[in-house]
Amino acid sequence: MPLYLFDLVNGNGLTADTEGRDLPDDAAARDEALKDIRSILSEEVLRGHLDLDGRIEVRDRARALLFTVAFADAVLIERQSA
Amino acid sequence: MIEAYLRKLRARDSVSAGEEEAIRSLFSEERDVPSDKTVIRAGERLNISLLLVEGLLCRYKDLRDGSRQISELHVPGDFADLHGFTLKRLDHSVMTLTRCRIAVAPHDRIQAVTTEHPHLARLFWLTTNIDAAIHREWVLSLGRRSAISRMAHLFCELRERLAVVGLADESGFALALTQTDLAECMGLTAVHVNRTLRELRERGLVEFRSRRVTILDLAGLRRIAEFDPGYLNLEPEPR
Repeated sequence: MPLYLFDLVNGNGLTADTEGRDLPDDAAARDEALKDIRSILSEEVLRGHLDLDGRIEVRDRARALLFTVAFADAVLIERQSA
Repeated sequence: MIEAYLRKLRARDSVSAGEEEAIRSLFSEERDVPSDKTVIRAGERLNISLLLVEGLLCRYKDLRDGSRQISELHVPGDFADLHGFTLKRLDHSVMTLTRCRIAVAPHDRIQAVTTEHPHLARLFWLTTNIDAAIHREWVLSLGRRSAISRMAHLFCELRERLAVVGLADESGFALALTQTDLAECMGLTAVHVNRTLRELRERGLVEFRSRRVTILDLAGLRRIAEFDPGYLNLEPEPR
């Protein structure tokens, strides 16, 4: 299985992944990135704060960028009231 | 081979030379097991219990989608599934997180030793009670502590438990875990763990790098974790 690196870029700057994870393919890596983002956002919500401007940059073993998952793409936001 | 276990017991009570001999007679063999192997599977009928001599083991449960919750980490000197002696089948699995050396205690020998040495039976009971106390502390962490204080608490707990068996000091300890392992202990994900580790480092409390936990400010780390080692029962007294 290929090694994927997950670099976090948000209001605190870059948190680089130094370990990576072995995953079957890009689709699995995207699912992992979505879970990572939802875990981070859920804790922010518990503190009453939500910053959707971050992203996870998914990279290969050589640190080449494969794709990016934006925080805003990890949650569906509904708001109907005025 | 079981020196760590004797140290762990003697931190809580005295163990006589005769009792030490009886403890040594519990074990039929030692096994070397590679990393990431489930050594006890939930639900299987058991006739042995496993003492961890070297490495790291965990107890875990998982869901159908593959998500795993580690409910306790085991350090050298832990009788990881001694409770299997009375339960006969475990409701959770036990797996290696690193390469491990494990000593095997057949249940008929535990039966014989506890019959002949009631004080040892009480010490075995004590250690399973301490495991239960560790589980309660983890429930508090998972349910109520923030990610940063949850991580700080785990590092404080491991430092105490490893210090008992001579594998940690004030400055830190070796910890051959991945961020994914830590995530499975704390109900987080690997990137969330990485971000939390960065926050702990930037606050000058602790650093986890190259399989080593370096404690920068033990008092500060305990404060943020609300760590009180009382649940580890580290005072020696007659049991």
